[in-house]
Amino acid sequence: MSIKEKLKKILVEELNLEDMTPEEIVDDAPLFGDGLGLDSLDAVELVVLVQKHFGVEIKDMDEGRPALQSVNSLAAFIEAKSAT
Amino acid sequence: MNRAVSVAVTGAGCLCAAGPDLDSCLAALFSGKRAPAPPRLFATGHSVPYPVFEVGENFFPATCPADPGLLRTARLAIAAAGQALADAGWEAEALTGLRVGVAVGTTVGSAMNNEEFYRDFRSGNRPGMAAIRHFLASNPAAAVARRFYLNGPLQTVANACSSGSDAVAVGAQWLRQGLCDLVIAGGADELCRTTYNGFVSLMITSPEAVRPFDRDRRGLNLGEGAGFLVLESAALEQARPGRTRARLVGCGAACDAHHLTAPHPQGMGLKRALREALAPLRDDWSGIAFVNAHGTGTLDNDRVEGMVLGELLPQVPFHSTKGFTGHTLGAAGGVEAAFTVACLGLGRIPASVGCDHPDPQLPVAPVQQVTALAGRYALSQSLAFGGNNTVLLFEKGERP
Amino acid sequence: MKPAAIQGVGVVGAFGCGVASLHESLRRGPHPPGRLIFSAEGRGSSMAAYLADPTPLERFVSKRETRRVDHFSRLALLGACLALEDAGALEGPRDDLGLIIASGYGATRTTFGFLDSVIAAGDPCASPTLFSNSVHNAAAAHVAIQLRITGPTLTVSQFGMSVASALARALAWLAEGRVSRVLFGAVDELCPVLGYCHQRFFGDPSGPIAPFALHRHSAVPGEGAAFLLLDGSGSSRYGLIAGADLGRIPVRGQLPGNGSYILNAAGHPSCSSHYSRLLPTGAGVAAFTPHYGSFPTGQALDLAVAALALRDGQLPPGIWGEALPNGWQPATLEQGAVTCVTCDGDGYFGTIRLERG
Repeated sequence: MSIKEKLKKILVEELNLEDMTPEEIVDDAPLFGDGLGLDSLDAVELVVLVQKHFGVEIKDMDEGRPALQSVNSLAAFIEAKSAT
Repeated sequence: MNRAVSVAVTGAGCLCAAGPDLDSCLAALFSGKRAPAPPRLFATGHSVPYPVFEVGENFFPATCPADPGLLRTARLAIAAAGQALADAGWEAEALTGLRVGVAVGTTVGSAMNNEEFYRDFRSGNRPGMAAIRHFLASNPAAAVARRFYLNGPLQTVANACSSGSDAVAVGAQWLRQGLCDLVIAGGADELCRTTYNGFVSLMITSPEAVRPFDRDRRGLNLGEGAGFLVLESAALEQARPGRTRARLVGCGAACDAHHLTAPHPQGMGLKRALREALAPLRDDWSGIAFVNAHGTGTLDNDRVEGMVLGELLPQVPFHSTKGFTGHTLGAAGGVEAAFTVACLGLGRIPASVGCDHPDPQLPVAPVQQVTALAGRYALSQSLAFGGNNTVLLFEKGERP
Repeated sequence: MKPAAIQGVGVVGAFGCGVASLHESLRRGPHPPGRLIFSAEGRGSSMAAYLADPTPLERFVSKRETRRVDHFSRLALLGACLALEDAGALEGPRDDLGLIIASGYGATRTTFGFLDSVIAAGDPCASPTLFSNSVHNAAAAHVAIQLRITGPTLTVSQFGMSVASALARALAWLAEGRVSRVLFGAVDELCPVLGYCHQRFFGDPSGPIAPFALHRHSAVPGEGAAFLLLDGSGSSRYGLIAGADLGRIPVRGQLPGNGSYILNAAGHPSCSSHYSRLLPTGAGVAAFTPHYGSFPTGQALDLAVAALALRDGQLPPGIWGEALPNGWQPATLEQGAVTCVTCDGDGYFGTIRLERG
């Protein structure tokens, strides 16, 4: 499973987005606001989920904000961090 | 019953990282002293040692030795309640025959989160029931009543970070209802590994000393402690003239109904609570000497609070004392009610420690030096997780 | 103090949800308890328990809106929605409404779920969602958010005294005109740790609960929620709440002997034995705990039963057992009033007095 696929599965299952399937999440759709409709509490939960599932730490929201824009940006962040 | 009837505050007590009693706390506040440090009460697995404001063992009075059968929260409550009674000039024996109520706000003190017990249970063992017995014996209001042999009404409020202020409002209501002669009301909360992990996980915990309303604020520091007021009926007040430190004139509370952890972006609930608390002054708000802000040091809280103060009370000096105490959660409303009463009496407020560069995004800034007060009234406000906002309005009394 | 009029009742428990289900259970007699499953490591077991299912909440709120709402808050939210629906108040503004919730133990499943997140993956993986749902006032927060309640909100937690204590606050808010209506509710949930505690303290529950075998342990743990919409209008098809008080035995002595009492007696001798000190010979008594089990805020369901009884003009069939102790009599509604009474193991008692509306 690719990082993006795994991320989508995590989004749906761990954030309980019961009204959608992982496949329905568009790679570059905004995670917050009008996109997936996530909020500030989901943002910090995602930080923990990324740590738990990928072993990648997001230190604070200065680092987290650009990474948590979309599935694309988050996958790129995880890849970059995993490589170092 | 009339909501417009004010209630006498005849005593105040406080125990927190700033000091073992209210006078020591005030001395620390006015000298700008504070000492947040990594937790010593428990170990943590975080890469950053987020500082906290712990109450040292030497801060507990000899009358409150460590009791393995009682949660630390109840012990803090008993210590601060005892102080408040002494400050009001009451010996425990003299309370016999009076209807004395106890209202306590808390968060940890009512939660069943003993980690050691649960680790044991979870790994398939059969842990003993001692931890559960201690929990069941430690409901803060009941523990205070038991310690001082009180037989009036009890209420333990679990309203997150506004609990202490809510408990003071409960006490005032009992007196207006004629249910009590005297009420001990405030809040108590201990520092706990579970809440520490929780607040760190929410990414609102600062890795450095908290800086309420500062441009570079990075979150809150957790603290612990207890703060209580003694409130008395008009009859008792008249029987012991000259003892009134302040009067509780107004209380307001309203819910944002917006989000589990974030305040309403326009501060809707806070504005409504402020207006309700200020209603007894009608439209003349000129006598307001200062506002004790909630001022946790998180981005969201200080932004909303600064915005609301800028809109409703732009000329009124305000400060946050959380730079001295940390955020004591359910205790905060009680601790800060005690500070507010004491500062009104002294006629000055301390500099809002931690705010070196006021946030230019906010329309107002907290006081940056010790500030003399003009006016008879002061507000203390609390904003809670879950969206509740509670505001108390005090009037200066007869003695500092 | 001016009494509070009950305008709507919403209940969730082992009997189902809504006043009709409670009414049906009271008429037909209680179902046997279900099973609480334990799933701690290295142990799989179960015990008798009265469990509540909040699934019908989907009728009121979308799954998306409740994705972060846990079992505890779902029970509360369902109770709250049912109470408003029952009062015909699901629509309309709610800025005149205050919210008060009582809970004995809070969101225990999520409290321990949060510790699970810490224990399983370490402190840095603590779940912020579980943490914010584990605080006692999470239920009030979810109810306020979903039902747009912008008046004052308060959560009270005093074990078995929570209901009487919180209800006293609701009556005072109405009497002082702080708000014109109060949505009052109580909620508690079961979890494996509470089940384990029950086993350690009292042994394996076997049921059925024998409320009036005051000195024999027969308690079966339960969970549920009961909400009432209250106002100061003075008239109600369900009746009026004239007072809610806490007291200490034996400071205030016995309650009046000619009254009718619904006891929250649930098979715990350490609590139930106090009823004998509180209620004199000849008192009219009933208990309905076998319909929903034993939990700290179970008195709120007694309160709902009392409201239904006042509406119907008669108490439902009580569960008295073979012989009532202490010369007590089966309660009736002849005087048009009934008092709900609960005792805890520490000598406190809580009373709620209801009168015909």
